[in-house]
Amino acid sequence: MQVSVETTSPIERRVTVQVPASQVDQAVDARLKETAHRVRLNGFRPGKVPMTVIRQRFGRDTRNEVVSELMRQHYVQAITQESLNPAGYPSIEPTVNEAGKDLEFTATLEIYPQIELKSIEGTEVERPQAEIVDSDVDEMIETLRKQNASWTDVERAAAEGDQVTIDFEGFIDDEAFEGGKAEGHQLVLGAGSFIPGFEDQLVGAKAGDEPEVKVTFPDNYQAEHLAGKEATFKTKVHNVQEQQLPEINAEFTQQFGVEDGDLDAFKAEVRKNMQRELDTAIENRVKQQIIDALKKANDVTVPQGLIQQETEGLKRQAAQQFGLGQDFDVSQLPDELFAEQANSRVQVGLLLAEVVSQHELDASDDEIRAYVEELAGQYQQPEQLVEHYLGNEQMKNQVKSAVLENKAVDKLLEQAQVKDVSMSYQEALQAAQQQSEEESESTSEEEKNDENA
Amino acid sequence: MNQERVFKVLLGPHMTEKAAFAAEHNQYVFKVASDATKPEIKKAVEALFGKKVDRVQVLNMKGKTKRSARGEGRRSGYRKAYVTLAAGETLEDFTGAE
Repeated sequence: MQVSVETTSPIERRVTVQVPASQVDQAVDARLKETAHRVRLNGFRPGKVPMTVIRQRFGRDTRNEVVSELMRQHYVQAITQESLNPAGYPSIEPTVNEAGKDLEFTATLEIYPQIELKSIEGTEVERPQAEIVDSDVDEMIETLRKQNASWTDVERAAAEGDQVTIDFEGFIDDEAFEGGKAEGHQLVLGAGSFIPGFEDQLVGAKAGDEPEVKVTFPDNYQAEHLAGKEATFKTKVHNVQEQQLPEINAEFTQQFGVEDGDLDAFKAEVRKNMQRELDTAIENRVKQQIIDALKKANDVTVPQGLIQQETEGLKRQAAQQFGLGQDFDVSQLPDELFAEQANSRVQVGLLLAEVVSQHELDASDDEIRAYVEELAGQYQQPEQLVEHYLGNEQMKNQVKSAVLENKAVDKLLEQAQVKDVSMSYQEALQAAQQQSEEESESTSEEEKNDENA
Repeated sequence: MNQERVFKVLLGPHMTEKAAFAAEHNQYVFKVASDATKPEIKKAVEALFGKKVDRVQVLNMKGKTKRSARGEGRRSGYRKAYVTLAAGETLEDFTGAE
């Protein structure tokens, strides 16, 4: 086997490999012989088909098969021999592929870039410090009540915040237009879900009223033929409903896992959840800053193949988030949408991997277990989830890499200067929300796994 | 023999163990039209494959009799030709014929 390597770009290599003809032919013959034993042809007893016939029938296909296998094998041999570290999949093309001649093929591949880590020493990192105060808890409970609000009919004029059920039909210049008609539509006044002005004019209407609503479609309305036009809507109000917040009682607290309806226990539970949210938020915020600093300090050329892989992954995730279902063909999504994100994620991945290997970090089974247990704490059946994670080798590796990543970040954190910044609970959470997709990915994965469990 | 007839004489290759053995002795086996004659087959092979034919032997294969609940029946038979090519000629891609 002859191997020659060309450097086509800093991270791209073209490997040309020659395989002697005798080796190829031998492999083909061996394969054909095996076929002769196995194959059933009309007119021949099984196993009695002569080689000439076999060669005629299967010669070409078998050769192609054998050649592609040989190419793969020799590709692996070649890169080990030349000690290349490929990233992603190579594209392999045969250049000479004829019976009796040496097989020659070229493989174009990208290698992992050599990374020289630059220290991020002296980088300032803000660590938010926040206390959860009683008012935060009360606010959270209020939000929970709103989420569980119910609507009850009232015999009075509709006010802001009420929900009305209406039929409506829209006319422009006395002509009904398409899409301007609906029956039994539920509309919360003041929610701003309709054209500006529409909801305002329904304030004061009672059940049974038939007010006419005059509105002008905004100039930037999404349906172009309607934009900027004046329209009259004939409406009929069926009922007016008032929002009713649920009482904080046993029934309400049970939804959140507090059985006895004890207010203090409920508050404690809410506070516990908030604390956990806050902790993750702070952690993520710090992590994000570290990663940003790392990315800034180190400029890495990323192999196209890896970006491609990452982009595929992101697309699949996006499809899942939009609820497009399993059958959805992800290649319909444009690559450009995800390219940048994929690029930065691959960069971060490479850099963190380098940090891990530089500091010879490793994650023990105990550490992995601890991490999973912490994750599982948020779910209904923690033990099952833990078992599910640890029982599956692939999943365990995923967790392991997450643990390693955290360790790498911790290591980097030692180099950085941490500055504590105190802020309120709300501010801390908002700060965390601004950060990139990093978080949304891990949550969506958790959800997925949770379903499986 | 006209051009149309040439395409009607040979029905296809006949590949069996015996035919494979015959091929090593420069004899190729065809299924032929049941009314084909030796000279017709000879001309057809020479025209279609461009090879010189030494001689042709023909025979009629009888269909097997088969019994079923509906009584006895016979499968249709066919006419078979052993075509010997002139010395030095071979048919490479025999299985691909018509």
